[in-house]
Amino acid sequence: MCIGRLSIATLLLLIAMPASAEDASIARGEYLINAGGCVDCHTEDSDDAIPLTGGRAVESPFGTFYSPNITPDVETGIGAWSDDDFVSAFWEGEDPNGDHYYPAFPYTSYTGVSREDLLAMQAYLFSLDPIDKTTPEHELAWYISTRLAAGAWKMKNFDSERFVPDPDQPEQWNRGAYLVRHLGHCGECHTPRSSLGALQYDQELAGNVSGSDGEKIPNITPDRKDGIGKWSASDIEYFLQIGMLPDGDFVGSDMSAVIDHNTSKLTKEDRLAIAAYLKATPPLSSPD
Amino acid sequence: MRHTIISTTLTLVISASLSAPIAAEPTAEDAYEYRESIMTALKGPAGAISRQARGLAGDSDYVANHAKAIANLGTELHTIFVEGSNVEGSEAMPAIWDEPEKFAEALANAEEAMAALGQVADGGDMEAIGNAFMNVGEACKGCHDSFREDSEH
Repeated sequence: MCIGRLSIATLLLLIAMPASAEDASIARGEYLINAGGCVDCHTEDSDDAIPLTGGRAVESPFGTFYSPNITPDVETGIGAWSDDDFVSAFWEGEDPNGDHYYPAFPYTSYTGVSREDLLAMQAYLFSLDPIDKTTPEHELAWYISTRLAAGAWKMKNFDSERFVPDPDQPEQWNRGAYLVRHLGHCGECHTPRSSLGALQYDQELAGNVSGSDGEKIPNITPDRKDGIGKWSASDIEYFLQIGMLPDGDFVGSDMSAVIDHNTSKLTKEDRLAIAAYLKATPPLSSPD
Repeated sequence: MRHTIISTTLTLVISASLSAPIAAEPTAEDAYEYRESIMTALKGPAGAISRQARGLAGDSDYVANHAKAIANLGTELHTIFVEGSNVEGSEAMPAIWDEPEKFAEALANAEEAMAALGQVADGGDMEAIGNAFMNVGEACKGCHDSFREDSEH
């Protein structure tokens, strides 16, 4: 009788455990999807858009990209993707057919994200309602209008490489580096690019005079004149939480959406990790 | 006689030159500068409250005054977006006048949030002030996002 009861209890526990572990993974995935800034690009810029159904136009010097639907709809979204398909998109910049993504999808940064984090993000996306929505084809300059061009670009400008913590740096710095350089992909906007769109890592985070949508993107290195060297770690953390600059102004522009969908949803610890990492980067002058 | 004529003329010229600018209608440039003045004035107490909310302003108990300053300036917001005042150098987007209903809603959000900040000011409850200030920030950011051309940030 006693054994019987125990067995039932064990059985119940076994049934309950995978469900709660899955829930935890989904919750973690949601946090990481926010940290990865996925919602902003994968949601159309209109008040009634359904999040993550894609269709947002991203203007670039090479034409207009339209983000895809990443809800789990089998036909128009990512519902048919395997775990490896999902990971490969981020690590290799390839779709499940092996076709190359254009770097408008920032796999150049996402390649550093861990498999564990990616699968949690996938678990969250797969927990959403599948939405049947076909997004427009990209409208690109003729010379990059085939995926072969994306492949050639990758050969020259992309290395598939995971983030490895630096044992000589504090844990907070390493967390910040992971968020800034990989998951949060700050450099995709804040680092200048070559005429062919390659990130100029020797000027990492020094700003971009011709960002997407024609915006001038500021220098966020600790240079006191050109960058944010006068900002304290608290100023950076507070800015990422509510969008206030140290002088009391409030941000508009694309960064406003980044704060709404991404950084305001992070824990204070993660925002402080971002601040600690940014403050420890080399101060650089802005490019001309 | 001649002296009288000169002095009368001078008096007329001087009084005309003094009264003329006062009587003139404000130009688009004036409207822009006035908007800039109000917006600049808002930044001071906003920056100060954020520092007090973060415990970075020493022992100052001035926070209620900062909160009231924002609430007072907030009552002026509806007057500073004069049509045509998006002169060269202005960051005001045409959408302010092209989408008046949407803009009025965004402006009302800001005015309400600022008034609410003023209402909690006297209590001296730093947490309540901090939360009310967060709502103000949210309204400022929302409006800037849709209606201000940000060139630098």
